[in-house]
Parts: sequence; C-alpha cells; structure tokens
Amino acid sequence: MKAYHLFRKDLFSEIRNRYAINSLAMFIIVTISVILFSVGEETISDYLSGGLYWVVVFFTGMSGLARVFVSEEERGTTLTLQLIARPETVLSGKLIFNLVLTLAMNIVITFLYSALFPAFVIKSLMLFFITFILGTLGIAISSTIIAAIISKAGSKGTLYPVLSFPILLPLILILINLTKISMDGTPFGEAIMDVLFLASYDVVMLSVSYLLFDFIWKD
Amino acid sequence: MKNKYIFGGIIVAVFLTLMIYLFTQTNVQYESDFTKVMEKGRTVKATGSWVKEKNYEIDKVNKTFSFFMRDEKGNEMKVVCPGTIPNNFESATSVVVTGEYTNGYFAAKDILTKCPSKYESPNKSS
Repeated sequence: MKAYHLFRKDLFSEIRNRYAINSLAMFIIVTISVILFSVGEETISDYLSGGLYWVVVFFTGMSGLARVFVSEEERGTTLTLQLIARPETVLSGKLIFNLVLTLAMNIVITFLYSALFPAFVIKSLMLFFITFILGTLGIAISSTIIAAIISKAGSKGTLYPVLSFPILLPLILILINLTKISMDGTPFGEAIMDVLFLASYDVVMLSVSYLLFDFIWKD
Repeated sequence: MKNKYIFGGIIVAVFLTLMIYLFTQTNVQYESDFTKVMEKGRTVKATGSWVKEKNYEIDKVNKTFSFFMRDEKGNEMKVVCPGTIPNNFESATSVVVTGEYTNGYFAAKDILTKCPSKYESPNKSS
C-alpha cells in the first residue's frame, strides 16, 4: 500500500459523496457574500481586503479539512487502515489529499475574491504567488495533523477550530503581513525574511507531524 | 526507529531557532533618504524633520494639510496629509510619514510626530 493508492481511494470516495467539496464550496460562498453584504456601498481599504481574504481561507479550511480522518472514524475503517498500511504511508496519503483540496479551495477563493473586491489588487505578483503556495502548504500540513488528533475525540466539530487557532496563528499573521506588503509592490528580495519564516514554519510542521503521527495513530 | 526521532528532532530544533530568529528581525523599513523615497514609488515610512522656515498650509476644501520635510542630507519634499495637524506638530523633533510619493509630492496616509524629551539626565551640568 503506497501513499498514492491511499490518495486515490480518498479521491474516489470524495467524488462519490462530495461531502468535503460541498462544505468547502458552501463556506466560500457564505463567507464571501457575508463580507460583500456587510461592506455594502462602502469602499474598504486595500489592507483590510487583504486581511479578510485570509479570514475567508482560514474559516473555509476549518469547515472541510478535518474530513480526511473524521470520515475514516465515522465509517469505522480506521482499524483496517491500521492493518494494511504503515503510519507514515497513511499520513502521506492524507496529506496529499488535503493539499490538493486546500490548493483547489484557495484558487477558487482567490479568483472569486479578486473578481468581487476591487480593492484587492496585488502589485507584486511574484511575492504573492510564493506567499500563496507556502501558505497553502502550511494550512494543509497543520490541518491534517490536527484532524488526526481530533478524530478520536468526542466533540470533533468544536475541538477542531479551537486546536487549530494557536497552531495556525503565526502562519495567518505572517500571511496577512506578506499580502499587505505584496499589495504595496515590495520586490521579492526585500521580503525575504518573512518568506523564510513561512518556509521554516512549513518545515517544522511537516517534520513534527511525521514524528508524532505514530503516537496519534496507534492509540 | 530511534534514528528517525534524533534526525527529526534536529530538523525541528534548527528550523524553530531560525523561525524565532527571523521573528525578532523587523521587516519594517524606515527610509531617511528622500531621493530613495522618490525613486521607489510605493508605500514607505519616511523619517525627517519639518522645515520651519516654510510654513504649513491648511486646505479646508480637501481637508488636508501640507508641509515640507527635510531629511538628514538636506533634501526637501512636500508632504500632503489628510485630516488635522497633530497637537504636538510644532514642537516635534522629527516626523514619520507613511505613504507614497506621487506627482511631485508625498501623499501620506498616516503621520507620527516625535516629541522632544522632557526628561533629561540630572547631572548634565557636571
């Protein structure tokens, strides 16, 4: 059993019942239209629209990304998965699936957002693109390992945002800051510190999740 | 199996220290050279002092006020600020404006004034 096969299995079962995709799509539509209605006729400043963009990403991620492990627990297939695959394989497979899901979600949000908010103009596209990729990676990695932790717990829905918030907070802060300065048109070279911070956050989360997954999975 | 934890632990420790180090480095740039401010054409924080010989002007129609700022090297530029003049503007030793240089003047979004210090060391005379 390879990570790729696990990813395929998750993808097919997702295409069949479309639970995560639907909840993500609903959340994107709801949050963006709530922001649109509350803004109304007023023009919001550039920086505010950049911050709100990541608010949409964060809450949308909260609604659908926990499904990877929760669905296994609900269908009672966790034990089978423990028998046929090694913990690292399981984590890799789920991580790839979440990564694809987060990437799709963020692309949709970015296009909708830039179409609906005229204030959301990025001057330094290169910097924003790197921020976007590293941010997507970070959100996918963190949400996968948190999903594995909460899937064993009783009240999954409430525990997920509560646990994610302190872990994702440094990521969200730096992402908002980077979006802000990419709106100013800062060239990539001047924001290298923040980009490095983002990259090391991803590396730390990735290695921590591979180290700790054995304990989470076996209990 | 034990190798994995040692190896992983080292990676986490190294990158965590890197993260903490990077977090303490501030990325905010204060520009004290106005020639650079004029070249960049994007939002910067410019520091300098108010040129008292050239008085400030208040535009009541557009609700802005404008004044001239001088940097360390003696370059001058015109700054246009929205809103009212800060209370301690006339006694300020230096001024920090956030904004962008466009069409021959600096369009500020925000202004900060630095007060002269009231507290001086007691044994200054000695």
